[in-house]
Amino acid sequence: EDALLPAPQNITILSTNMKHFLTWSPVIVQGETVRYSVEFQGEYEREYANESWIPISECSLITGTVCNITEDISATVAYNLRVRADVGAQRSEWGTLKGLFNRITTSLTPPLMKVIADGYHLLVELEDMGPAFQFRVLYWKKGQERRVLQKVVKEVRSVVHLDTMEAGADYCVKAQTYVEAINRSSSFSQTQCVRAHGDKSMWL
Amino acid sequence: TAGNKIFHFGACRVSTSMTEIRAGFTAIKANIQARDPIRSLSILSYPHSLHKVKSSDRCCITHHLFNFYVDKVFKHCRTEDSFVNRKISSIANSFLSVRRKLGQCHEQNQCMCGQESTEKFKQILANYEGLNVTSAAMKSLGELDILLDWME
Repeated sequence: EDALLPAPQNITILSTNMKHFLTWSPVIVQGETVRYSVEFQGEYEREYANESWIPISECSLITGTVCNITEDISATVAYNLRVRADVGAQRSEWGTLKGLFNRITTSLTPPLMKVIADGYHLLVELEDMGPAFQFRVLYWKKGQERRVLQKVVKEVRSVVHLDTMEAGADYCVKAQTYVEAINRSSSFSQTQCVRAHGDKSMWL
Repeated sequence: TAGNKIFHFGACRVSTSMTEIRAGFTAIKANIQARDPIRSLSILSYPHSLHKVKSSDRCCITHHLFNFYVDKVFKHCRTEDSFVNRKISSIANSFLSVRRKLGQCHEQNQCMCGQESTEKFKQILANYEGLNVTSAAMKSLGELDILLDWME
């Protein structure tokens, strides 16, 4: 097998909210279908297993130029990744990711959330982002911005009860995610405010 | 969360993705244990269970065991099965990450080794070296849940 076939280029990782994808530029061979194979190497393989590489079977001889590597990037250590191309009997050299990837660098986005006033109950619906995610929810009564209350949600249920509201009062909520495995948080979501049912004078 | 767990060994605090390690092991446990022909022997539990270790020695024995798995076990567990190899890699890299934290505690004298943990670990090594290396490594990997259960 001679290596006339160029190795894949522009190998990069797109990592958001602990989901990691390897992408590369396609190798163009007129009239031919080029297939790609991906392998990874964790710090353990580099330091204790003779720098061995491990193939990702879901990304062996694929025609696409994206590979979901989330399942294999499952420790907070530095990983190396590489891709090669195949056309018929021709096989390219490996193209290797520039630099190592550690999931600690994943970008964390604020969680999607929906605040609900259910009678006098202040509720929040949070997006299920997977088992690695906790949520820190801050809420306060409008006008009492100095008395912010907090609730940490470790496992997402459909709806989270935050508080019982005073009739007719406005309450505001914002949330951020926290990933313990990498000890990092997202920025806060937009603040959302709702009004409790009923009339304020009812409480006099 | 279903993710991390903080282990407190006295002053030593170690955050570990226990769920990820367990998920990786559960996915290959049957395959690995099927490769262990000598079911009557145990590496971690012979003659005494880990549960007999005094709490003051828990950090040291945990540190010893993580070193044991990283330095001696995982490298001899390569199989012909790509899925199994990927899960072993996942566990090994997680162990490496935890071992580093335990090592930091050890350097800061927060993970002291008493007589008991030293003796216990010697026994584990003797059990391991009593078998040929591949059998010993596969058996040790197959007993990982003993370690994980004891830790939790």
